[in-house]
Amino acid sequence: MVPARPKRRPFPRIRTIMTVGVIGALIVLGGQILDRELQGGESVMSETGPRVPGAVFPTDQFAGKDVPQPINFSHKIHAGDLAINCLYCHTYARRSKVAGIPPTSKCMGCHTIVATADERPEIAKLTTMWENGQSPAWNKVNDVPDFVHFTHERHLQRFLFDNPDMDVKDSSEVCAMCHGDMVEVGVAIKMRPLTMGFCNDCHEENDGPSECTRCHK
Amino acid sequence: MTRTKIDRRRFLKVLGLGGAGVALAGCDLPSYATLEEGEEQIFSYLAPEEYVIPGIGVWYASTCLQCPAACATHSRVREGHALKLEGNPTAPLNKGKLCQMGQAGLQNHYNPDRITRPRIAGKDVTWPQALAAIKQKSGANLAWVTGTISGHQRVLLETHLKASGGGQHYVLETVHAKSWEAACTDLIGVAEPALHFNKAQAIVSFGADFLGTWKSPVHYMTQYGEFRSTPRGVLTVIEPAMTLSGANADHWVAARPGSLASVALGVAHVLTAEHHVSTAGLPDGGAAAITAMDAPQVQLLAGVDAQAIKKIATTLMSNHPSLVIADGDYDDCAAAMLLNLMLGNVGATLTPGVDLAPSRLASKGGSSKDLAIFANAAGAGNIDIAFITGCNPLFTAPNGLNMKQALGKVGLSVAVAMFEDETVAACDVVLPLASALEDWGSHAPPSGALLGEIHLQQPLMEKLYPDVMGLGDVLLGLAQDAGAEGLDQFEDYYGYLRTAISAMIGSEIEADWNNVLQAGQIAAPIMERTFTTAKPITIKTPTVNPGALTLVTTARQGLYDGRHANLPWLQEAPDQISKAVWDSWAELHPGTAAKLGVKDGDYVTIQSNTGTITTRVFTYRGVHPDAICVPMGRGHTNYGRYATDNGVNPLSILDVSIDPRTGELDTTSTHVEVRPTGDNRHLARLMDTDSQHGRKLVATITADQFRRNQGGA
Repeated sequence: MVPARPKRRPFPRIRTIMTVGVIGALIVLGGQILDRELQGGESVMSETGPRVPGAVFPTDQFAGKDVPQPINFSHKIHAGDLAINCLYCHTYARRSKVAGIPPTSKCMGCHTIVATADERPEIAKLTTMWENGQSPAWNKVNDVPDFVHFTHERHLQRFLFDNPDMDVKDSSEVCAMCHGDMVEVGVAIKMRPLTMGFCNDCHEENDGPSECTRCHK
Repeated sequence: MTRTKIDRRRFLKVLGLGGAGVALAGCDLPSYATLEEGEEQIFSYLAPEEYVIPGIGVWYASTCLQCPAACATHSRVREGHALKLEGNPTAPLNKGKLCQMGQAGLQNHYNPDRITRPRIAGKDVTWPQALAAIKQKSGANLAWVTGTISGHQRVLLETHLKASGGGQHYVLETVHAKSWEAACTDLIGVAEPALHFNKAQAIVSFGADFLGTWKSPVHYMTQYGEFRSTPRGVLTVIEPAMTLSGANADHWVAARPGSLASVALGVAHVLTAEHHVSTAGLPDGGAAAITAMDAPQVQLLAGVDAQAIKKIATTLMSNHPSLVIADGDYDDCAAAMLLNLMLGNVGATLTPGVDLAPSRLASKGGSSKDLAIFANAAGAGNIDIAFITGCNPLFTAPNGLNMKQALGKVGLSVAVAMFEDETVAACDVVLPLASALEDWGSHAPPSGALLGEIHLQQPLMEKLYPDVMGLGDVLLGLAQDAGAEGLDQFEDYYGYLRTAISAMIGSEIEADWNNVLQAGQIAAPIMERTFTTAKPITIKTPTVNPGALTLVTTARQGLYDGRHANLPWLQEAPDQISKAVWDSWAELHPGTAAKLGVKDGDYVTIQSNTGTITTRVFTYRGVHPDAICVPMGRGHTNYGRYATDNGVNPLSILDVSIDPRTGELDTTSTHVEVRPTGDNRHLARLMDTDSQHGRKLVATITADQFRRNQGGA
């Protein structure tokens, strides 16, 4: 005779779901706390901070990771030490939704004369690519998801060109609203979170549009 | 497995907990989890033009090569990539319009199944290796097998043939109007008269799908728009199975396949007998054929009743001028042209049109005649080397032509192609072709739609694959290798084309060349044609076999003759008639389906003398009861991931019956046996029902009300 199988205890379905749910919630909460720390604190808007007259300046921080690039381009040297206007190289920002990477011809315009390939190994990389007809494949540092329609042109118009108290030579202050003080860093890193919350806070404080379809086309 | 009983309390617990978790997780996900940082690459331009701005599209003019009509296009290019194709609004041919096949040209270019390297016997090789293999065979009996070709590509092709010591050029098109051209040649002395749909008050089409695939549909569509504006013209279509043009008709008449001539003659009979239209100007043989075709005869041959014939005649009499067109065999087209002659349309809605003065630039249209001739020549072992491009004879040829065996007897077959298809796979050497968006070229619209412009094709972006080569470059290289005179100075096809176009516009100035590229077209020197008097004709009346099912293989705007089956946009675009997607079907009249004992979705085998295909039934009243219509385009056995093993190819089972007067394959004489297999599966259609189920989604009025209020037929 086959012995009767011991009766299994019923699987504690509800208890399991609740446990998993609580653990999940803790992970999400923990992630958020960690995220806040990575970003450098709570969302803060500052009217006294740097430096765009007539605008409330977002000061959220984001500790971006180092993104390796084919050429170690230094924003500090170009935009900081040499005080080249951001819009000289990122000339598309005022005319298009994207700021664009400057064309290699623009880099070579200077670097055939100053800080040439003979003097700087990083420029030698650039020169080799130029001579081979190749563009550097830069890794994107500041990016928003594809479902977000962000336009540089409109933001520059609002804070720089239509701003009576702003001088175009101070464009780096406007750029810093979303990109942080790039004049202080070498190879670009992400310094602002660029999350929907970040965008929203700024839009609220500066009377930007709030309709969903302005950004989500 | 045991089912756990969930009571209300437990359900609410799970729902509440789950909902809270989802809300918590979704409200504010950590930003580092969703945002991209160093994920994508971004390339800068090297030395862009001043007007090129990332993020902002620039429109460039070029030419569409998706069908022989060669419409002028504008393409939006952004960050070095072509993103959208539209018609060129300054082009008189298509006036800014572009059909869905043209729009899908992008998918040809970005298609993942493109051939990227030269191949010999299926193995990747380098260009020098491939060209060396071709050179070994040079100088022997040479043949070029192409689709419709025009402009400077045609000039170079003929130069290559001549420099190689002769050889044949076979031009293959499954969708063509050669019978119409033959009838026009005999009756008015001009093969391709210019048609003016916009000047007609009534259009009667005998099977010519001028809104879908016939000759230059986008050109005709723009004219059709004018024809339908005030005063609203009346469209009548007579055909065995409804086409896009038929679906737009005020009066649609189903005729037995192969019997369109008898309907046209029947209408002419009513015009003479009841409306006293003179047949005095008709050629010998015309009047006699009309007299013989009385109403009972039409009923017998075409299955069209006297009332329908009278109605067409009345429409033609009360709307002047009219335009009668036809697509079918020679008899159908000749009978339609008789109507044009009787009604005084010749000179009004049909004008002689123009020829290109440099005749070698004109569009050399293809036909099924060359398909049969090529199959015979290759099968007899008379071709040592064949260059094949822009056509797929192994797919479009009926089984009876034994094209595969014939191609196997060609000494060396060389495919110049973007994709592997049935023909390319059977070729010895494959040269990877650049897409239409990567290449230079000049193209003349078919001469019936020619208005005096030649359209320029320019690359819209860099080649996606470094090893592909444009057709012009391949032709130039081959012609230079063959020792053609005067070509050595050109480094590439761009240099050749620019020199040739500069000579045509009489300027070598950079700015003028740029203006030509910006316009996308140049006015070419033209010659006016003149009509001549008609030759005597004989119109045969069809032999009928009522009750026997005839296979009708219509072309649809979309997959066309099968060349677009590898474009998902066109596979998923619902068919104009059945609204089916991604598969083949057989259209049957509900009465015929009932007789055969089949219903929608039933699989049937369709058997001709030369083969069998199996597909699903779609019952539809827009089919003559003696016809079974399987649209062409699907049924590829080797055409990339989207087309292979998708649907069936009705062209393969057509009987090889050649019209002796035109040499074309008769596509309406294949009788088939249809048997249900017993299987049934729902046909995927975008619109699964013809009823609005009382929801009034689209306002409708009855046909009678429409006729009274809108002046319809």
